[in-house]
Amino acid sequence: MKKVAISGLGVISAAGQGISETLETFSSGRRNGGRVSLFPTALSYPVFEVKKIPAQWHKEGMRTLSLALCAVNGALRDAGLPDDLSRLKVGVCLGTTVASQLNDLDFYRAYRKTGKAPMEPVNRFLEGNLAEAVAHAFKVQGPSLTVVNACSSGADAIGAALSWLRNGICDIAIAGGADELNRVPLCGFGSLGIMSESFCAPFDRERSGLNLGEGAGVLILESDEICRQRGKTPIGYLAGYGIAADAYHLTAPHPEGKGLEAALRKALAEAGITPDEVCFVNAHGTATPDNDKVEGTLLARIFGPDIKVLSTKGYTGHTLGAAGGLEAAFTVAALREEWIPASIGFVHQDSEIPLAPVTEKTPTEKGYGVSTSLAFGGNNTALVFASAFSHRYKSRTSPPISHKDRSTV
Amino acid sequence: MYIAGIGIIFSRGRGIESFSHALQKGWKPPQFIEHASFSDKPIPLYAVDQEFIMDKAVLGKSRRADRFCKMAVLAAWDAVKDSGLSDVLLNGSMSPGEDAPSLGIIHATALGPHTTTFRFLDDILDYGEANVSPTAFSHSVHNAAASYIASVLDIRGPTITVSQFVFSFHQALLLAQSWLEEKRCDFVLVGSTDECGQVMEYICRQKLHIADDGRIKPFHFSASPEAVPGEGSVFFLMTQEKNLPAPARYGEVYEISLFDHQNEEDAPDICLIETDGMTGDETACRNDIIPGAYVAGYSPLFGSFMAGSGFQCAAAALMLKRQIRYACPVQDNPYGVNLCTATEPSEIRTIYSFRHCCGHKKAVIKLRR
Repeated sequence: MKKVAISGLGVISAAGQGISETLETFSSGRRNGGRVSLFPTALSYPVFEVKKIPAQWHKEGMRTLSLALCAVNGALRDAGLPDDLSRLKVGVCLGTTVASQLNDLDFYRAYRKTGKAPMEPVNRFLEGNLAEAVAHAFKVQGPSLTVVNACSSGADAIGAALSWLRNGICDIAIAGGADELNRVPLCGFGSLGIMSESFCAPFDRERSGLNLGEGAGVLILESDEICRQRGKTPIGYLAGYGIAADAYHLTAPHPEGKGLEAALRKALAEAGITPDEVCFVNAHGTATPDNDKVEGTLLARIFGPDIKVLSTKGYTGHTLGAAGGLEAAFTVAALREEWIPASIGFVHQDSEIPLAPVTEKTPTEKGYGVSTSLAFGGNNTALVFASAFSHRYKSRTSPPISHKDRSTV
Repeated sequence: MYIAGIGIIFSRGRGIESFSHALQKGWKPPQFIEHASFSDKPIPLYAVDQEFIMDKAVLGKSRRADRFCKMAVLAAWDAVKDSGLSDVLLNGSMSPGEDAPSLGIIHATALGPHTTTFRFLDDILDYGEANVSPTAFSHSVHNAAASYIASVLDIRGPTITVSQFVFSFHQALLLAQSWLEEKRCDFVLVGSTDECGQVMEYICRQKLHIADDGRIKPFHFSASPEAVPGEGSVFFLMTQEKNLPAPARYGEVYEISLFDHQNEEDAPDICLIETDGMTGDETACRNDIIPGAYVAGYSPLFGSFMAGSGFQCAAAALMLKRQIRYACPVQDNPYGVNLCTATEPSEIRTIYSFRHCCGHKKAVIKLRR
């Protein structure tokens, strides 16, 4: 199986723009959340907004795309790649939720009232398909795919890009996710009763729901060979990807985490490792009662109760389609930096969850890190990343997955 | 990769036999919908009749699902049934010691369940931000349909929904091919679904040149082509397994080209040209015609929609399986291209299906017997 290197990271969220600023926020334990300021709303849930998008990437009325362009640019710079990618065999695979919907309230209000509405919001929607717009902006000639798998969109976009690279569909892939803070999910998650009135507390006994956030997280993936040929040292490797459906419920996870377990086992098998080789798990950890109980219980069962676990949603909020991309980038950065941040918000152990996340900045070894994503629709995704200089991840190929393993996924 | 089954729901029915029947019978006018915004001009629309979406036996688990989801569930279900492999794939009836093959889902859409999104916006406008329906919200996400498919068919493999305006179905097919190559699963249900609600009818009227006579004219190769909006869902059961039972032998998708495709010297038997007025200037599409090949286009049967390439692909697969060349439903032919003008038995080995976008981008799906 082709070894897939990570050569660049680009992030923007309430925790900062770029990896350095974000790690500083993580290190300090700051939470840059507050009331919604992007649009007038009667809802008082705290959120995590991006305070400033660089003017260069600002597109009026296309906030998700602006966030994505900013992160993609950061990742390309980090990878040492040019702005014009037309001469390379590059693909774009990005996840989102908000940017895929025509949900402009002013447009719809006008349509309802008069039977007519201005076409500008429609034009912005049609021009703003995330992967297509990013491909256009950076002159990408290869495949472009917008993944809309709800909250696992960013992680699944990275997984789809891995498939492209392994199958030679492109040599380099821009992969991750982006989403803006928007009224539709704010009202929607509110209606589901899973938003917290205070800052979220993933895995805490007193957790009362999620906070919404926004941002973009992008990885530059490329074949190890191409990466080294152009003189770039990989930051890390994408070693395994697992995805599985619960086939259970539209909004609730399977109570025993069956789909997540299948996704994790598949990702570990692809990476050719056992659970005890994983240094830490960057969990989905939304701070909803259901998610954290199912996820925490399963992680303890697979990795043991002493596994180092964190959720970064306490710093970024739940960024929906961006979450998988951001958390993948944070996982790779943690492997490089050899530390994980405190899982902010956690104070009280929940007796129903047989593990506790880390409560302070914690050193980790070089090795493997896992990022998990769970989504509406019962989708579950796991990504396994390896340190660049891990002696263990060389050119090992994963063992063939038995027919039995595949059938249980 | 091989096409082992097809499920389809469109304006003229549900199931591959309905599609086959439509191909044989030829063009029928669309419905003409009165729209409050255009009182003098009804909008032609290939709408899916509600009666085609009623199937309590299949949709029992998805009774709360919206129309978009139900169309997708039925098409996916029918694709598996059509293959003759449903006992193995859905019921897991294997020989002792054998494991059931794994099944994945890739669902493509351009516009997703937008009628549900607008219903949710109705809630915000009518009842306020704090009083919206959680059901409308959870169904407004694009992957709700794939979730229902997984639930109804009890599929626990990889499940992805993708949304593109350009080549959505082609991108889904390309990813399916990768999944099968990687052995991420043994079978993949690849499909595309789009619906056309009232707001979209308005947008279509504003953004497109609508064919007020209800006839898409695929071979006019016009700079400002006319469209007739359509809706529906089509799913394909794809696999790398060669030894398929007879009902499942539709043929092989052997190449999906999304960039820099050059016409080859060897002509296919048929070039399918997907010119439906959805993607602007169609003048360049005339270049896709390969000398020696018959030319066909079937969008006048099901209408214009961005993720509609799957319908054209279904026509190609049927022709390969049944070795019948179907007459083009609308045969206006100002450039005198070598059209399929009659439905007749024919030896068909290869079919290329072309789709252009914005005059310069091109995608090709190549199929063979």
